[in-house]
Amino acid sequence: MSPFNKKLKKSAHIQLVLITAILASCHKPTPHHQRRVFMRGDTTAPYNGVRNYYGDDNGYYSSNNGYHHHSHLWYYAFRPYGHYYNGSYTRAGYYSGGLSAHANTGRNGFKGSITRGGFGSHGFSVSS
Amino acid sequence: MQRISIPPRNNWQSAVEKLGFGFHTTDIPYWDESAYYKFMLSEINRIESATQELWDMCLGAVQYVMDNNLYHRFAIPDGAIPYIEKTWQEDHPAIYGRFDFCYKNGHLKLLEFNADTPTSLYEAGIVQWFWLQDFDKSKDQFNSVHEKLIDGWKTLASYLRPGKLHFSCLKQTLEDLTNTEYLRDCAMQAGLDTKLVFIDDLGWDNSTRTFMDLENESIRNIFKLYPWEWLLRDDFGKNIPEDANQAFWIEPAWKMILSNKALLPILWEMYPNHPNLLPAWFDSHGMNRFVKKPILSREGANIEMVDNGQLLQSSDGGYGQEGYVFQELFELPAYDGKYPVIGSWVIAQQAAGMGIREADSLITDNKSRFVPHMIDG
Repeated sequence: MSPFNKKLKKSAHIQLVLITAILASCHKPTPHHQRRVFMRGDTTAPYNGVRNYYGDDNGYYSSNNGYHHHSHLWYYAFRPYGHYYNGSYTRAGYYSGGLSAHANTGRNGFKGSITRGGFGSHGFSVSS
Repeated sequence: MQRISIPPRNNWQSAVEKLGFGFHTTDIPYWDESAYYKFMLSEINRIESATQELWDMCLGAVQYVMDNNLYHRFAIPDGAIPYIEKTWQEDHPAIYGRFDFCYKNGHLKLLEFNADTPTSLYEAGIVQWFWLQDFDKSKDQFNSVHEKLIDGWKTLASYLRPGKLHFSCLKQTLEDLTNTEYLRDCAMQAGLDTKLVFIDDLGWDNSTRTFMDLENESIRNIFKLYPWEWLLRDDFGKNIPEDANQAFWIEPAWKMILSNKALLPILWEMYPNHPNLLPAWFDSHGMNRFVKKPILSREGANIEMVDNGQLLQSSDGGYGQEGYVFQELFELPAYDGKYPVIGSWVIAQQAAGMGIREADSLITDNKSRFVPHMIDG
Protein backbone atom coordinates (compact mmCIF):
# COMPACT_ATOMS: atom_id res chain seq x y z
CA MET A 1 0.00 0.00 0.00
CA SER A 2 1.34 3.42 -0.87
CA PRO A 3 1.82 6.09 1.80
CA PHE A 4 -1.02 7.94 0.11
CA ASN A 5 -3.40 5.04 0.59
CA LYS A 6 -2.52 4.78 4.25
CA LYS A 7 -4.20 8.12 4.76
CA LEU A 8 -7.38 7.07 3.02
CA LYS A 9 -10.41 5.86 4.90
CA LYS A 10 -11.72 3.80 2.02
CA SER A 11 -10.71 0.32 0.98
CA ALA A 12 -7.70 0.27 -1.31
CA HIS A 13 -8.89 -2.82 -3.10
CA ILE A 14 -12.02 -4.92 -3.01
CA GLN A 15 -12.35 -8.43 -4.28
CA LEU A 16 -15.36 -10.69 -3.99
CA VAL A 17 -14.80 -14.42 -4.11
CA LEU A 18 -18.20 -15.98 -3.60
CA ILE A 19 -20.34 -13.37 -5.26
CA THR A 20 -18.00 -12.94 -8.22
CA ALA A 21 -18.04 -16.70 -8.63
CA ILE A 22 -21.82 -16.70 -8.77
CA LEU A 23 -21.74 -13.99 -11.40
CA ALA A 24 -18.91 -15.58 -13.35
CA SER A 25 -20.69 -18.90 -13.45
CA CYS A 26 -23.45 -17.35 -15.50
CA HIS A 27 -21.54 -17.16 -18.72
CA LYS A 28 -19.51 -20.34 -18.33
CA PRO A 29 -16.11 -18.80 -19.01
CA THR A 30 -13.29 -20.61 -20.69
CA PRO A 31 -11.18 -22.08 -17.93
CA HIS A 32 -7.77 -20.64 -17.28
CA HIS A 33 -5.94 -19.89 -14.06
CA GLN A 34 -8.40 -19.60 -11.24
CA ARG A 35 -8.98 -20.69 -7.74
CA ARG A 36 -11.96 -23.00 -7.71
CA VAL A 37 -14.96 -22.21 -5.59
CA PHE A 38 -17.48 -24.91 -4.91
CA MET A 39 -20.99 -23.68 -4.46
CA ARG A 40 -24.62 -24.27 -5.09
CA GLY A 41 -27.67 -22.14 -5.67
CA ASP A 42 -29.85 -23.98 -3.24
CA THR A 43 -28.56 -25.08 0.09
CA THR A 44 -30.10 -28.51 -0.26
CA ALA A 45 -28.50 -29.20 -3.61
CA PRO A 46 -25.12 -30.81 -4.33
CA TYR A 47 -22.11 -28.57 -4.70
CA ASN A 48 -21.05 -27.52 -8.16
CA GLY A 49 -17.56 -26.37 -9.02
CA VAL A 50 -17.47 -22.94 -10.60
CA ARG A 51 -14.55 -20.83 -11.57
CA ASN A 52 -13.70 -17.61 -9.95
CA TYR A 53 -11.45 -15.07 -11.55
CA TYR A 54 -9.29 -14.77 -8.53
CA GLY A 55 -6.28 -12.71 -9.51
CA ASP A 56 -7.35 -12.50 -13.14
CA ASP A 57 -7.90 -8.99 -14.38
CA ASN A 58 -10.66 -10.01 -16.75
CA GLY A 59 -13.18 -10.61 -14.11
CA TYR A 60 -12.83 -8.60 -10.99
CA TYR A 61 -12.84 -5.05 -9.87
CA SER A 62 -10.03 -3.12 -8.30
CA SER A 63 -9.09 0.42 -7.66
CA ASN A 64 -5.87 -0.13 -9.53
CA ASN A 65 -7.21 -1.81 -12.60
CA GLY A 66 -10.53 -0.09 -12.85
CA TYR A 67 -13.87 -1.60 -13.63
CA HIS A 68 -13.69 -4.78 -15.65
CA HIS A 69 -16.86 -6.45 -16.69
CA HIS A 70 -17.86 -9.77 -18.09
CA SER A 71 -19.29 -9.91 -21.55
CA HIS A 72 -22.47 -11.78 -20.70
CA LEU A 73 -23.35 -10.76 -17.20
CA TRP A 74 -26.88 -11.27 -16.12
CA TYR A 75 -29.14 -9.25 -13.97
CA TYR A 76 -29.23 -10.87 -10.61
CA ALA A 77 -26.98 -13.10 -8.61
CA PHE A 78 -29.98 -14.95 -7.25
CA ARG A 79 -33.21 -15.89 -9.00
CA PRO A 80 -36.52 -16.46 -7.31
CA TYR A 81 -38.46 -19.68 -7.43
CA GLY A 82 -41.94 -20.46 -6.18
CA HIS A 83 -45.29 -21.93 -7.06
CA TYR A 84 -48.86 -21.05 -7.93
CA TYR A 85 -51.68 -22.03 -5.65
CA ASN A 86 -55.31 -21.00 -6.08
CA GLY A 87 -54.26 -18.55 -8.75
CA SER A 88 -51.73 -16.69 -6.66
CA TYR A 89 -47.98 -16.96 -6.80
CA THR A 90 -45.92 -17.62 -3.70
CA ARG A 91 -42.20 -17.10 -3.80
CA ALA A 92 -40.43 -19.91 -2.00
CA GLY A 93 -36.86 -18.67 -2.14
CA TYR A 94 -33.90 -17.85 -4.33
CA TYR A 95 -31.32 -19.85 -6.19
CA SER A 96 -28.56 -19.01 -8.57
CA GLY A 97 -29.67 -18.92 -12.17
CA GLY A 98 -26.07 -19.22 -13.29
CA LEU A 99 -25.35 -22.60 -11.79
CA SER A 100 -26.14 -25.92 -13.34
CA ALA A 101 -29.47 -27.59 -12.66
CA HIS A 102 -27.50 -30.17 -10.70
CA ALA A 103 -26.52 -27.54 -8.17
CA ASN A 104 -29.92 -25.90 -8.13
CA THR A 105 -32.14 -28.90 -7.56
CA GLY A 106 -32.47 -29.31 -3.87
CA ARG A 107 -34.95 -30.86 -1.55
CA ASN A 108 -36.30 -27.85 0.24
CA GLY A 109 -39.74 -26.36 0.43
CA PHE A 110 -41.70 -26.54 -2.75
CA LYS A 111 -39.07 -28.52 -4.60
CA GLY A 112 -39.16 -31.58 -2.44
CA SER A 113 -40.84 -33.45 0.30
CA ILE A 114 -38.88 -32.65 3.44
CA THR A 115 -40.22 -29.91 5.62
CA ARG A 116 -38.44 -28.52 8.61
CA GLY A 117 -39.36 -25.25 10.11
CA GLY A 118 -38.81 -24.84 13.81
CA PHE A 119 -37.27 -21.52 12.89
CA GLY A 120 -38.35 -18.89 10.44
CA SER A 121 -42.00 -18.50 11.17
CA HIS A 122 -41.68 -14.84 12.20
CA GLY A 123 -41.48 -12.23 9.55
CA PHE A 124 -40.43 -11.93 5.97
CA SER A 125 -37.26 -9.87 6.24
CA VAL A 126 -35.20 -8.77 9.18
CA SER A 127 -34.23 -5.53 7.48
CA SER A 128 -33.26 -2.91 10.00
CA MET B 1 -22.18 17.63 5.38
CA GLN B 2 -23.73 18.66 2.08
CA ARG B 3 -26.15 17.05 -0.33
CA ILE B 4 -24.98 17.30 -3.95
CA SER B 5 -27.36 16.49 -6.80
CA ILE B 6 -25.77 14.71 -9.75
CA PRO B 7 -26.95 12.79 -12.79
CA PRO B 8 -26.92 9.04 -12.14
CA ARG B 9 -24.65 6.90 -14.28
CA ASN B 10 -26.39 6.06 -17.55
CA ASN B 11 -26.03 2.37 -16.89
CA TRP B 12 -26.38 2.42 -13.13
CA GLN B 13 -28.86 -0.43 -12.93
CA SER B 14 -26.58 -2.64 -14.96
CA ALA B 15 -23.53 -1.47 -13.01
CA VAL B 16 -24.97 -2.43 -9.65
CA GLU B 17 -26.48 -5.66 -10.95
CA LYS B 18 -23.01 -6.70 -12.06
CA LEU B 19 -22.10 -6.62 -8.40
CA GLY B 20 -24.92 -9.01 -7.56
CA PHE B 21 -26.99 -6.19 -6.07
CA GLY B 22 -30.45 -7.33 -7.08
CA PHE B 23 -32.67 -5.27 -4.81
CA HIS B 24 -31.73 -1.80 -6.03
CA THR B 25 -35.34 -1.18 -6.97
CA THR B 26 -38.59 -2.66 -5.71
CA ASP B 27 -41.79 -0.79 -6.47
CA ILE B 28 -39.74 2.33 -5.72
CA PRO B 29 -36.00 3.03 -6.10
CA TYR B 30 -33.89 1.95 -3.17
CA TRP B 31 -30.38 2.62 -4.46
CA ASP B 32 -30.30 6.34 -5.33
CA GLU B 33 -27.27 7.88 -6.99
CA SER B 34 -29.05 11.03 -8.18
CA ALA B 35 -27.25 12.67 -5.27
CA TYR B 36 -24.41 12.05 -2.87
CA TYR B 37 -23.48 13.42 0.52
CA LYS B 38 -20.19 15.26 0.79
CA PHE B 39 -18.32 15.32 4.09
CA MET B 40 -15.30 17.11 5.42
CA LEU B 41 -12.63 14.81 6.81
CA SER B 42 -13.09 16.45 10.21
CA GLU B 43 -16.76 15.44 10.15
CA ILE B 44 -15.87 11.86 9.29
CA ASN B 45 -13.26 11.74 12.04
CA ARG B 46 -15.94 12.80 14.45
CA ILE B 47 -18.36 10.09 13.31
CA GLU B 48 -15.60 7.53 13.50
CA SER B 49 -14.49 8.44 17.02
CA ALA B 50 -18.10 8.65 18.27
CA THR B 51 -18.75 5.18 16.86
CA GLN B 52 -15.73 3.79 18.62
CA GLU B 53 -16.60 5.44 21.90
CA LEU B 54 -20.26 4.39 21.77
CA TRP B 55 -19.24 0.80 21.13
CA ASP B 56 -17.13 0.83 24.30
CA MET B 57 -20.03 2.41 26.18
CA CYS B 58 -22.39 -0.27 24.89
CA LEU B 59 -20.15 -3.04 26.17
CA GLY B 60 -20.26 -1.31 29.54
CA ALA B 61 -24.04 -1.19 29.30
CA VAL B 62 -24.26 -4.96 28.83
CA GLN B 63 -22.38 -5.50 32.07
CA TYR B 64 -24.47 -2.82 33.80
CA VAL B 65 -27.75 -4.48 32.80
CA MET B 66 -26.50 -7.83 34.04
CA ASP B 67 -25.09 -6.46 37.30
CA ASN B 68 -28.32 -4.65 38.09
CA ASN B 69 -30.67 -7.33 36.76
CA LEU B 70 -32.50 -4.92 34.46
CA TYR B 71 -33.76 -7.55 32.01
CA HIS B 72 -37.40 -6.73 32.71
CA ARG B 73 -36.79 -3.34 31.13
CA PHE B 74 -35.92 -5.15 27.92
CA ALA B 75 -38.87 -7.58 28.05
CA ILE B 76 -36.36 -10.40 28.00
CA PRO B 77 -37.98 -13.57 29.36
CA ASP B 78 -36.52 -14.95 32.58
CA GLY B 79 -35.78 -18.26 30.91
CA ALA B 80 -33.39 -16.62 28.47
CA ILE B 81 -31.27 -14.85 31.08
CA PRO B 82 -28.89 -17.71 32.02
CA TYR B 83 -28.07 -18.32 28.36
CA ILE B 84 -27.54 -14.63 27.64
CA GLU B 85 -25.17 -14.34 30.60
CA LYS B 86 -23.36 -17.50 29.60
CA THR B 87 -22.66 -16.11 26.13
CA TRP B 88 -21.31 -12.92 27.70
CA GLN B 89 -19.15 -14.65 30.29
CA GLU B 90 -17.78 -17.07 27.71
CA ASP B 91 -17.11 -14.19 25.33
CA HIS B 92 -19.12 -15.56 22.43
CA PRO B 93 -17.93 -13.59 19.42
CA ALA B 94 -19.77 -10.79 17.63
CA ILE B 95 -18.93 -9.49 14.18
CA TYR B 96 -20.85 -6.29 13.53
CA GLY B 97 -23.43 -3.62 14.38
CA ARG B 98 -24.68 -0.30 13.02
CA PHE B 99 -25.25 2.91 14.95
CA ASP B 100 -27.85 5.22 13.46
CA PHE B 101 -26.98 8.88 13.90
CA CYS B 102 -28.60 12.22 13.32
CA TYR B 103 -26.00 14.80 12.29
CA LYS B 104 -27.31 18.35 12.44
CA ASN B 105 -25.94 21.79 13.27
CA GLY B 106 -22.67 20.32 14.41
CA HIS B 107 -24.35 17.82 16.75
CA LEU B 108 -24.02 14.09 16.27
CA LYS B 109 -26.70 12.18 18.18
CA LEU B 110 -27.35 8.46 18.51
CA LEU B 111 -30.88 7.52 17.46
CA GLU B 112 -30.56 3.76 17.92
CA PHE B 113 -28.17 0.84 17.66
CA ASN B 114 -28.91 -2.01 15.25
CA ALA B 115 -26.75 -4.55 17.01
CA ASP B 116 -28.28 -7.92 16.16
CA THR B 117 -29.48 -7.96 12.55
CA PRO B 118 -28.29 -4.80 10.81
CA THR B 119 -28.68 -4.73 7.03
CA SER B 120 -27.48 -2.40 4.24
CA LEU B 121 -23.99 -3.82 4.76
CA TYR B 122 -23.53 -4.74 1.09
CA GLU B 123 -24.65 -1.31 -0.06
CA ALA B 124 -22.29 0.39 2.40
CA GLY B 125 -19.27 -1.85 1.89
CA ILE B 126 -19.48 -2.69 -1.79
CA VAL B 127 -22.01 -0.83 -3.91
CA GLN B 128 -21.12 2.68 -2.85
CA TRP B 129 -17.37 1.88 -3.07
CA PHE B 130 -17.74 0.86 -6.72
CA TRP B 131 -19.93 3.90 -7.33
CA LEU B 132 -17.00 6.04 -6.14
CA GLN B 133 -14.62 4.16 -8.45
CA ASP B 134 -16.79 5.26 -11.35
CA PHE B 135 -17.65 8.72 -10.11
CA ASP B 136 -14.27 9.93 -8.86
CA LYS B 137 -11.83 7.32 -7.67
CA SER B 138 -9.39 9.97 -6.50
CA LYS B 139 -11.78 10.89 -3.68
CA ASP B 140 -12.07 9.21 -0.32
CA GLN B 141 -14.96 7.51 1.44
CA PHE B 142 -15.50 6.39 5.03
CA ASN B 143 -15.51 2.74 4.10
CA SER B 144 -13.17 0.02 5.23
CA VAL B 145 -16.08 -2.37 5.76
CA HIS B 146 -14.67 -5.00 3.46
CA GLU B 147 -11.18 -5.43 4.89
CA LYS B 148 -12.44 -5.08 8.44
CA LEU B 149 -14.91 -7.88 7.82
CA ILE B 150 -12.17 -10.12 6.47
CA ASP B 151 -9.83 -9.23 9.33
CA GLY B 152 -12.71 -9.64 11.77
CA TRP B 153 -13.48 -13.16 10.60
CA LYS B 154 -9.79 -14.03 10.84
CA THR B 155 -9.79 -12.89 14.44
CA LEU B 156 -13.04 -14.68 15.23
CA ALA B 157 -11.73 -17.92 13.74
CA SER B 158 -9.74 -18.63 16.88
CA TYR B 159 -12.89 -18.30 19.00
CA LEU B 160 -15.04 -20.68 16.98
CA ARG B 161 -15.77 -24.33 17.63
CA PRO B 162 -13.87 -26.74 15.36
CA GLY B 163 -15.82 -27.29 12.15
CA LYS B 164 -17.76 -25.25 9.66
CA LEU B 165 -19.25 -21.83 10.10
CA HIS B 166 -22.81 -22.01 8.77
CA PHE B 167 -24.52 -18.88 7.46
CA SER B 168 -28.25 -18.56 7.73
CA CYS B 169 -31.10 -16.22 6.89
CA LEU B 170 -34.72 -16.41 5.82
CA LYS B 171 -35.29 -18.15 2.52
CA GLN B 172 -37.67 -15.69 0.95
CA THR B 173 -35.80 -12.43 1.12
CA LEU B 174 -33.21 -11.38 -1.43
CA GLU B 175 -31.99 -8.50 0.71
CA ASP B 176 -31.21 -10.78 3.63
CA LEU B 177 -29.61 -13.40 1.39
CA THR B 178 -27.38 -10.82 -0.29
CA ASN B 179 -26.19 -9.44 3.05
CA THR B 180 -25.61 -12.96 4.37
CA GLU B 181 -23.75 -14.12 1.30
CA TYR B 182 -21.59 -11.02 1.45
CA LEU B 183 -20.64 -11.84 5.02
CA ARG B 184 -19.91 -15.39 3.94
CA ASP B 185 -17.80 -14.12 1.06
CA CYS B 186 -15.62 -12.22 3.55
CA ALA B 187 -15.44 -15.25 5.85
CA MET B 188 -14.27 -17.40 2.95
CA GLN B 189 -11.58 -14.85 2.17
CA ALA B 190 -10.56 -15.08 5.80
CA GLY B 191 -9.97 -18.78 5.30
CA LEU B 192 -13.06 -20.11 7.08
CA ASP B 193 -14.91 -23.20 5.94
CA THR B 194 -18.47 -22.00 5.35
CA LYS B 195 -21.85 -23.33 4.33
CA LEU B 196 -25.22 -21.73 3.67
CA VAL B 197 -28.36 -23.11 5.25
CA PHE B 198 -31.62 -21.21 5.38
CA ILE B 199 -32.96 -20.65 8.86
CA ASP B 200 -36.26 -22.18 7.71
CA ASP B 201 -34.42 -25.41 6.94
CA LEU B 202 -32.57 -25.90 10.20
CA GLY B 203 -33.34 -29.14 11.95
CA TRP B 204 -33.07 -30.40 15.47
CA ASP B 205 -31.90 -33.97 16.09
CA ASN B 206 -33.48 -35.20 19.27
CA SER B 207 -31.16 -38.16 19.59
CA THR B 208 -27.92 -36.19 19.43
CA ARG B 209 -29.42 -32.98 20.85
CA THR B 210 -27.85 -30.90 18.10
CA PHE B 211 -28.96 -28.58 15.33
CA MET B 212 -28.54 -30.03 11.85
CA ASP B 213 -28.37 -28.64 8.36
CA LEU B 214 -30.20 -30.28 5.48
CA GLU B 215 -27.34 -32.65 4.81
CA ASN B 216 -27.54 -33.79 8.43
CA GLU B 217 -24.28 -32.13 9.26
CA SER B 218 -24.35 -30.96 12.82
CA ILE B 219 -23.93 -27.26 13.42
CA ARG B 220 -21.20 -25.89 15.67
CA ASN B 221 -21.00 -22.27 14.58
CA ILE B 222 -23.73 -20.33 12.87
CA PHE B 223 -24.11 -16.76 11.72
CA LYS B 224 -27.81 -15.94 11.63
CA LEU B 225 -29.41 -12.90 10.06
CA TYR B 226 -32.48 -13.48 12.17
CA PRO B 227 -33.37 -11.66 15.40
CA TRP B 228 -32.86 -13.24 18.78
CA GLU B 229 -36.35 -12.35 19.92
CA TRP B 230 -37.71 -14.36 17.00
CA LEU B 231 -35.34 -17.27 17.65
CA LEU B 232 -36.56 -17.50 21.22
CA ARG B 233 -40.22 -17.37 20.20
CA ASP B 234 -39.82 -20.03 17.53
CA ASP B 235 -40.45 -23.69 18.28
CA PHE B 236 -36.79 -24.64 18.16
CA GLY B 237 -35.62 -21.78 20.37
CA LYS B 238 -35.94 -23.76 23.57
CA ASN B 239 -33.31 -26.15 22.24
CA ILE B 240 -30.55 -23.57 22.00
CA PRO B 241 -29.39 -23.85 25.63
CA GLU B 242 -29.77 -27.65 25.42
CA ASP B 243 -27.58 -27.96 22.34
CA ALA B 244 -24.95 -30.66 22.94
CA ASN B 245 -22.55 -28.81 20.63
CA GLN B 246 -23.09 -25.55 22.50
CA ALA B 247 -22.89 -23.96 19.08
CA PHE B 248 -21.79 -20.39 18.75
CA TRP B 249 -24.59 -18.25 17.38
CA ILE B 250 -23.40 -15.06 15.73
CA GLU B 251 -24.46 -12.48 16.65
CA PRO B 252 -24.42 -13.89 20.20
CA ALA B 253 -27.36 -13.77 22.59
CA TRP B 254 -25.84 -10.96 24.66
CA LYS B 255 -26.55 -8.71 21.68
CA MET B 256 -30.22 -8.90 22.76
CA ILE B 257 -29.37 -6.18 25.25
CA LEU B 258 -27.82 -3.89 22.68
CA SER B 259 -30.37 -4.36 19.89
CA ASN B 260 -33.24 -3.38 22.17
CA LYS B 261 -34.20 0.30 22.38
CA ALA B 262 -34.32 -0.01 26.14
CA LEU B 263 -30.59 0.46 25.72
CA LEU B 264 -31.19 4.17 25.09
CA PRO B 265 -32.43 5.12 28.58
CA ILE B 266 -29.83 2.79 30.10
CA LEU B 267 -27.05 4.61 28.26
CA TRP B 268 -28.48 7.97 29.34
CA GLU B 269 -28.59 6.77 32.93
CA MET B 270 -24.98 5.58 32.74
CA TYR B 271 -23.61 8.50 30.76
CA PRO B 272 -25.87 11.53 31.41
CA ASN B 273 -25.27 14.51 29.14
CA HIS B 274 -22.89 12.62 26.90
CA PRO B 275 -22.61 14.74 23.73
CA ASN B 276 -23.57 11.87 21.41
CA LEU B 277 -26.62 10.79 23.39
CA LEU B 278 -30.11 12.21 23.59
CA PRO B 279 -32.02 12.23 26.87
CA ALA B 280 -34.05 9.03 27.01
CA TRP B 281 -36.34 7.48 29.60
CA PHE B 282 -38.89 4.75 30.09
CA ASP B 283 -41.61 7.40 30.35
CA SER B 284 -42.02 10.85 28.86
CA HIS B 285 -40.34 12.29 31.97
CA GLY B 286 -41.80 15.74 31.53
CA MET B 287 -40.28 16.21 28.10
CA ASN B 288 -42.26 18.48 25.78
CA ARG B 289 -40.66 17.17 22.65
CA PHE B 290 -40.01 13.48 22.39
CA VAL B 291 -40.12 10.41 20.19
CA LYS B 292 -41.95 7.37 21.52
CA LYS B 293 -40.36 4.17 20.20
CA PRO B 294 -41.25 0.52 20.80
CA ILE B 295 -38.34 -1.27 22.45
CA LEU B 296 -38.56 -3.91 19.72
CA SER B 297 -39.40 -2.66 16.25
CA ARG B 298 -37.98 -2.45 12.76
CA GLU B 299 -37.90 -0.05 9.84
CA GLY B 300 -39.41 2.90 11.68
CA ALA B 301 -42.62 1.14 12.63
CA ASN B 302 -44.91 2.37 15.42
CA ILE B 303 -43.04 5.63 16.01
CA GLU B 304 -44.76 8.70 17.47
CA MET B 305 -43.15 12.15 17.39
CA VAL B 306 -44.67 14.57 19.88
CA ASP B 307 -44.02 18.29 19.99
CA ASN B 308 -45.60 20.23 22.82
CA GLY B 309 -48.46 17.81 23.19
CA GLN B 310 -49.13 17.67 19.47
CA LEU B 311 -48.52 14.57 17.38
CA LEU B 312 -46.00 15.75 14.83
CA GLN B 313 -45.68 12.51 12.90
CA SER B 314 -46.40 8.82 13.44
CA SER B 315 -46.07 5.48 11.69
CA ASP B 316 -48.09 2.29 11.69
CA GLY B 317 -46.96 -1.22 12.46
CA GLY B 318 -47.44 -4.22 14.64
CA TYR B 319 -44.91 -3.53 17.37
CA GLY B 320 -45.23 -2.11 20.85
CA GLN B 321 -46.52 -4.93 23.01
CA GLU B 322 -43.15 -5.22 24.80
CA GLY B 323 -43.13 -1.57 25.87
CA TYR B 324 -41.73 1.79 24.78
CA VAL B 325 -38.94 4.24 25.40
CA PHE B 326 -39.09 8.00 25.11
CA GLN B 327 -36.23 9.89 23.52
CA GLU B 328 -35.88 13.65 23.25
CA LEU B 329 -36.95 14.81 19.80
CA PHE B 330 -34.00 15.80 17.65
CA GLU B 331 -35.30 16.14 14.12
CA LEU B 332 -33.25 14.96 11.19
CA PRO B 333 -31.80 17.74 9.04
CA ALA B 334 -33.62 18.50 5.78
CA TYR B 335 -31.73 18.68 2.48
CA ASP B 336 -34.02 19.56 -0.41
CA GLY B 337 -36.85 17.91 1.48
CA LYS B 338 -34.81 14.75 2.13
CA TYR B 339 -33.94 13.53 5.61
CA PRO B 340 -30.68 11.56 5.96
CA VAL B 341 -29.75 9.13 8.72
CA ILE B 342 -26.11 8.11 9.04
CA GLY B 343 -25.58 4.40 9.65
CA SER B 344 -22.09 3.98 11.12
CA TRP B 345 -20.67 0.47 11.21
CA VAL B 346 -18.67 -1.13 13.96
CA ILE B 347 -17.03 -4.33 12.74
CA ALA B 348 -15.00 -6.61 15.00
CA GLN B 349 -14.77 -3.87 17.63
CA GLN B 350 -13.71 -1.12 15.23
CA ALA B 351 -15.47 1.77 13.54
CA ALA B 352 -15.46 0.70 9.91
CA GLY B 353 -17.48 2.93 7.61
CA MET B 354 -20.91 4.32 6.98
CA GLY B 355 -23.96 4.34 4.77
CA ILE B 356 -26.68 6.95 4.47
CA ARG B 357 -30.40 6.22 4.29
CA GLU B 358 -32.55 9.08 3.07
CA ALA B 359 -36.29 9.44 3.70
CA ASP B 360 -38.96 11.87 2.57
CA SER B 361 -40.11 12.35 6.13
CA LEU B 362 -38.65 12.60 9.62
CA ILE B 363 -39.25 8.88 10.15
CA THR B 364 -36.78 6.64 8.34
CA ASP B 365 -38.74 3.62 7.17
CA ASN B 366 -38.59 0.76 4.68
CA LYS B 367 -39.10 3.16 1.78
CA SER B 368 -35.93 5.06 2.59
CA ARG B 369 -33.24 5.14 -0.07
CA PHE B 370 -29.54 4.40 0.17
CA VAL B 371 -27.48 7.38 -1.04
CA PRO B 372 -23.67 7.17 -1.45
CA HIS B 373 -21.20 9.54 0.13
CA MET B 374 -17.67 10.84 -0.33
CA ILE B 375 -15.08 12.73 1.67
CA ASP B 376 -13.96 15.91 -0.03
CA GLY B 377 -12.32 18.57 2.03
